[in-house]
Amino acid sequence: MGPFETLGYAEAGRVATVTLKRPLTNMRLVRELTAVCDHLEDESPCEVVVLRGEGGVFHRGIDLTDFRPDQEVDIHGFNKWEKLCARIERLPKATVAAVDGAALGGGVQLALVCDVRICTPGSTFQVDEVHRGFLPGMATWRLARFVGLGRARRMLAQARVVGAEEAHQIGLVDEVVDGLDAGVAAAVAAFGPVNTVALQLGRRLLDESSATAFEDAIGNFLAAQHRACTQPPFQATLAGAHRGSKG
Amino acid sequence: MVAGRPEAPVHERPRILSVGTAHPPERYTQAEVLARFAPPSPEVRALFQSAHIRTRHLYLPPADADGQPAETQAELLQKHRRGALDMASRAIPAALDPLGLKPEDVDYLCVISSTGFMLPGLSAMFIRHFGFRVNCQRADIVGMGCNAGLNGLNPVVGWAALNPGRVALMICCEVNSALYIHEDNVSVAVVNSLFGDGCAAAVVRAVPPDEPAPLAPQVLDFESHLIPETWAAMHYTWAEAHGKFSFVLDRDVPYVLGTHAATPVGNLLARHGLKRRHIAHWLVHSGGMKVIDAIKYTVGVTAHDLRHTTGVLRDCGNLGSGSFLFSLRRLTDEGGVRRGDLGVMMTMGPGSTIETALLRW
Repeated sequence: MGPFETLGYAEAGRVATVTLKRPLTNMRLVRELTAVCDHLEDESPCEVVVLRGEGGVFHRGIDLTDFRPDQEVDIHGFNKWEKLCARIERLPKATVAAVDGAALGGGVQLALVCDVRICTPGSTFQVDEVHRGFLPGMATWRLARFVGLGRARRMLAQARVVGAEEAHQIGLVDEVVDGLDAGVAAAVAAFGPVNTVALQLGRRLLDESSATAFEDAIGNFLAAQHRACTQPPFQATLAGAHRGSKG
Repeated sequence: MVAGRPEAPVHERPRILSVGTAHPPERYTQAEVLARFAPPSPEVRALFQSAHIRTRHLYLPPADADGQPAETQAELLQKHRRGALDMASRAIPAALDPLGLKPEDVDYLCVISSTGFMLPGLSAMFIRHFGFRVNCQRADIVGMGCNAGLNGLNPVVGWAALNPGRVALMICCEVNSALYIHEDNVSVAVVNSLFGDGCAAAVVRAVPPDEPAPLAPQVLDFESHLIPETWAAMHYTWAEAHGKFSFVLDRDVPYVLGTHAATPVGNLLARHGLKRRHIAHWLVHSGGMKVIDAIKYTVGVTAHDLRHTTGVLRDCGNLGSGSFLFSLRRLTDEGGVRRGDLGVMMTMGPGSTIETALLRW
């Protein structure tokens, strides 16, 4: 793996840790995170991925020095970033965003694409792109589903800095932890067994739920359930249930 | 670590240069079919009210005094023959004309159908009626069901690869309304509410190196997967009470097909060092909503990836062997494919079987 310029990557036991070393997103970071996703999908035996920042910053979003006023807008660059976010969201691993410090713009979106979000008491969340004249990516799609449309509109319109406690109250993060490392360890342990296929299917059904009519969703669920039930983890659960009922 | 898409091999493979499609002239909403034949059972009526199919083109007979269609097996066979001629008369020029080709330019003709047994076969009838050369080489693939389009494409591509520059034409011609028996029960109604009539013709040719390469998919490889334990899940049977053939479709086979679908796709891609994320276009048989859902969640493709599969199902029903070519035609018309894009074709049908092919534009 690597070497990477914009991030650190380490595997220990069942946990892969991705450390964002560059506080701002440029195309190199997008490429390197994409390479990490390739590795996690194709090769890594890890079950859990922890995404964290460094030096009191989680991530501060896009690096505007990558853009030059005299160049045409590279909408495909934005699309590469969004594809990366969607891939992280669908990784065949359980995922934790561990926020210590500022999460801005794209940084907020990186947190939203994980299964679980924790942060330290001093952390802040802010979506300030509209104040700078552009848009916070597909956070426009994801944010309201976490915090509700009203709160999302306020964050977007006022670039409101949301502190850790408020972020917890409105559902932007799941837990405020005093020590990040201990918090990460607890969050990883709380996953218990990671049944990759069932996790991916369940997460996908949840993600699709707000945009799928019940009549379509039930068909999707039945197809997904059929698949889950043919996988080894459910077969083991069934075998265990039968042993239990006999004993 | 390999970043991005692996380099594809450089040698030229046969391409699907164009697809022409045709239907019967009459198009019916599900409600119109219901109104015409009025089955009394609420379960049967509910099947026709599913939102996944809105319209189908069909050769429907008039209703008799009991409100039922009256067609003997002999009349159904005639309908198969007449319908095939009618649709092929429009699908063939729709495939040839854009390339400036005439029927006499075709060197190899492969006709695929499962909706009626004929001897001589459809290929001989098409040569007789449409002006193909009498020395046109030909093959008929009969009775392989919905998957048969890829079972036919495999030898067509093989022939085209052995005869670079020469023209092969594959015609999938299914008059599914010639399979209907009418009875007020759910298993018959599933068939009658699902299948539509349609014909797709595809020109396949290995483009010689001195010609400019068109933006049309090369067929790189095939992978099959038979599920022998589901032999009876989809089958043709003789319905003694009706004196007709009848098609039987097991209720759970869509999910079983879905569960197995990842295997041939995985084998096909692995042989070329590819991952699913490298595939830009999925052309999947419009078998029915259950099997489409099952493939979404087992192969891991999105509703957007299968937009043409669900769109063809919605507008035309299950068109049998040519369905995936209707999807290819829609994808081409969309205008979004780029040179170098990779695609997977997948068809499912009796056997039970899953057939796949790998494409590169």
